[in-house]
Amino acid sequence: MIPFRTQVKFLLDIDNAADIDLADFVGVFQRWIQQNALDELLIDVADYKHVFEGPGIVLIGHFSDYSIESREGRVGLLYTRKRQVESDLQSQLRTALRLALKAAELLQTETDFDPRLKFRADAFEIRFADRLQLPNRPESFDGINDDLQIVLSELYGGNAVQFAPRATDPRNLLTIDVQGEGVAAITDLLRHFQALVES
Amino acid sequence: MTSQNWKAVLGDQIPEERGREIETFAGQVELRRQNKVDEKVFAETRLRWGIYGQRYDNGQRFDGTKTQTITYPSGDLTKGPNTYWDAPGMLRIKIPFGGVTPRQMEVLAEVADEYSDGILHVTTRQDFQLHFVHIDDTPDLMRRLAAVGITTQEACGNTVRNITACPLAGVCHDEAFDITPYSKAMAYFLLGHGDTQDFGRKFKTAFSGCEQHACALVNMHDFGLLARTKEVDGEIKRGFAVFVGGGLGTIPHQAKLLDSFVTEEEILPIAQSIARVFARLGEKKNRNRARIKFLVEQVGIEEFRRLVFEERAQLPHDDRWTEYLNDVPDYHETPAKQPFSLNGQARPEGFEGWYKTNIYQQRQDGYVVVYINLPLGDLTSAQMFRLADLAHKYAGDNVRTTVEQNMVLRWVSEADLPEIYTELKTIGLADAGINTIVDITSCPGTDTCKLGIASSRGLAGELREQLAAKIDTLPEAVKELKIKVSGCFNSCGQHHVADIGFFGNSRRSGNYLVPHFQLVLGGKWKQNAGSYGLAIGAVPSKRVPEVLEAVTNRFANERISGESFQDWVTRLGKKEVKAMLEPFTQVPAHEVDASFYTDWGDTREYSLGDIGVGECAGEVVSLFSMEIAKAESNHFDGLIALDEGKFAKADESGYRAMLLAARALVRTRFLALSDDPNKIVEEFRKQFYDTKLFFDPYAGGKFAHYLFDRHENPPAQPDADSARRLLEEAQLFIEACYSCEARVNGSIIGS
Repeated sequence: MIPFRTQVKFLLDIDNAADIDLADFVGVFQRWIQQNALDELLIDVADYKHVFEGPGIVLIGHFSDYSIESREGRVGLLYTRKRQVESDLQSQLRTALRLALKAAELLQTETDFDPRLKFRADAFEIRFADRLQLPNRPESFDGINDDLQIVLSELYGGNAVQFAPRATDPRNLLTIDVQGEGVAAITDLLRHFQALVES
Repeated sequence: MTSQNWKAVLGDQIPEERGREIETFAGQVELRRQNKVDEKVFAETRLRWGIYGQRYDNGQRFDGTKTQTITYPSGDLTKGPNTYWDAPGMLRIKIPFGGVTPRQMEVLAEVADEYSDGILHVTTRQDFQLHFVHIDDTPDLMRRLAAVGITTQEACGNTVRNITACPLAGVCHDEAFDITPYSKAMAYFLLGHGDTQDFGRKFKTAFSGCEQHACALVNMHDFGLLARTKEVDGEIKRGFAVFVGGGLGTIPHQAKLLDSFVTEEEILPIAQSIARVFARLGEKKNRNRARIKFLVEQVGIEEFRRLVFEERAQLPHDDRWTEYLNDVPDYHETPAKQPFSLNGQARPEGFEGWYKTNIYQQRQDGYVVVYINLPLGDLTSAQMFRLADLAHKYAGDNVRTTVEQNMVLRWVSEADLPEIYTELKTIGLADAGINTIVDITSCPGTDTCKLGIASSRGLAGELREQLAAKIDTLPEAVKELKIKVSGCFNSCGQHHVADIGFFGNSRRSGNYLVPHFQLVLGGKWKQNAGSYGLAIGAVPSKRVPEVLEAVTNRFANERISGESFQDWVTRLGKKEVKAMLEPFTQVPAHEVDASFYTDWGDTREYSLGDIGVGECAGEVVSLFSMEIAKAESNHFDGLIALDEGKFAKADESGYRAMLLAARALVRTRFLALSDDPNKIVEEFRKQFYDTKLFFDPYAGGKFAHYLFDRHENPPAQPDADSARRLLEEAQLFIEACYSCEARVNGSIIGS
């Protein structure tokens, strides 16, 4: 089973969502397109900063979208794997995590932000935008539990990792809250994960 | 886990006919992917299914320094001429009369989550739009919508577009009767009807319950129906005043009265007859003159009326014309709760301001309509789910979209308002300001539209933010003004019917292009779009907030008690308005302030190319710039003459303005051009029209015909309508000359 769309959201390490000026991301994402900074097909930047707890600023790609999303007041980088390129759930998850972490790491290096952005490595969320195969029901989670366990263990390098479906309105997307230990920064998370994937 | 698909899962929930049509479309998608359907045929097919192209779907995008080629994975496969298969597109979803149920809202939220970017956009035709949708995903998307009674069929293309109607129908104090069941019957009668499949252009229909309010904008529609009653043989009969040939677009036309009273039994056959006449006699080759307004203008309303009623007499009977009328007397909406007035309940902070602007008292005691103020017409899927809950809990499932890109909950018990306000606030949908200056309408503009010239949404967002911050300090007369913004001359943002309208254009400054907006003043929203505003002058995009402040401050200070904005503009006179704009027209050199050379919400340089600035590092004022300024001056003289009722002079000035603009353009290549009109037109035709250099990428040679037509067929006795139209055409011709010069003569940074 390959989810129609898999989303991964790494949260910004901030106390107050109001500290983030979404307009700053427009220039950064436009420059990423100019410089092909993510090594994938990027198309445009969409501006939804006027919308409450919305996708904010979205870097639209063909295979991926990257947005600075603030759903439920939690501001972070939401990565969306839009096309079903991979062969199974595990590989799609790995790709989504790798690309999300890569973009988050790049954002942390951007000097347009003062102070610099920092993403949390100890907690993030996974969503499946696929109400056909993965509706927001316990049995959906049961069906992918093993796949999640394998990939998330890789991500945290064997350290303790806990994950559970968020108990929300059944109409919402199936959302998994992940909490890991032993990795302090997403830079380390990415390097660790990449090394595992490449080996 | 077994493999599933939406077609199998939803099979029995989709009405048979709709399901069959969607499967046919899905088949065409597959055939086009295999290159077994011509791309032009497929393009028209997908348009008829509501699937539009978006900006950059031609595989080219200016990234701020250069034009990049976007190499889509499906290679050369296209979904239309110059439109790549993989390029994200827009899907327009029809919502007849704007009516949606909570269940439909939930599915709309679901598809926004799964196929788009999580945003639902309400349009000025009460549709919803999703952006960044892949063509491969559209059949499933349509299946899911069809399963809850929503279609995208004929949402775009040369078809009967979504039928709009007053969102207050049935609860309004002034209506003749509730037009809801009639608009619904019309929508489904014309959908896919055999007589509506061969139009040269789109066909827009609106229903209004009364004359004095704007809610449905009947006067600016191809086909407008205005509810009326009439005593016939001692019995009160329901019927409609029927209008045809209105429209905004590049040149706005007021609709003409076809018949002052068409009985309810006759509105569907009359619609069918109009469709037949339009299909048979409407222009098919030149799409720029293919709207029904041109046919009405060409044959005259009397002849058009004769043709329609002649067609009516020949129509074979159709039971559907009157079948729905059996249900009309029983048509009603069921509230969720008993009506109670707002009495002594505790009112949350911010409630009073919201109550003042966002609540409409229904004619049914104790019930109110709650307006949901959507910024730029946008809401998230999460907001849509919660709004569906609120609609179910408080409004008895009665929800509508509006032509001002908002939504309404109807049949709400007034006593529930504090609770609703609190709940709306938690989802960010409790902004006050409906029908005020902050409630700005905007088309998509350069954000996603292929035709966009300037960022209408960027400007509208900026104005909204600035105005919202000071709304409490604005004079009441200013608060009540309406602002509407279009990204180009095509008027999708309805700038012609706003007190203060803007449409995007561009101007050269040295070796750069600068985004500008043309200021349009004096349009009338009330009385169903009672009159249209006129363009006054172009100002740099970044100076629009200052211009708005100057205009509104002066209006507030100089207004005579009770004077409307339109009357004030008329009293002030265009010369004075133009003089007021003058200080804001200047663009600082790029080296001094580069921000003028980017658009709102976009950090990219607005213009293209790589040739650098002039050697003197100062402004390079070209001969073209000097000469076309004279054309603008003549055009402005024409506007003054029009105000003074000197229609012949207005016509002559408009014509002269076009000649001067054409001459300015020709002289960029051929200096030795005399001032003889015949020579100017001859050279312009030879050098810019026949070579297609003047052709707009989308409008083709349309604007050149404004000059040719006036040159070859001067009016014997210009009247107010013809002079006004010629001045509108002259304005667009001048804009086209600016664009052509920038496009053809180059030397633009980033072009």
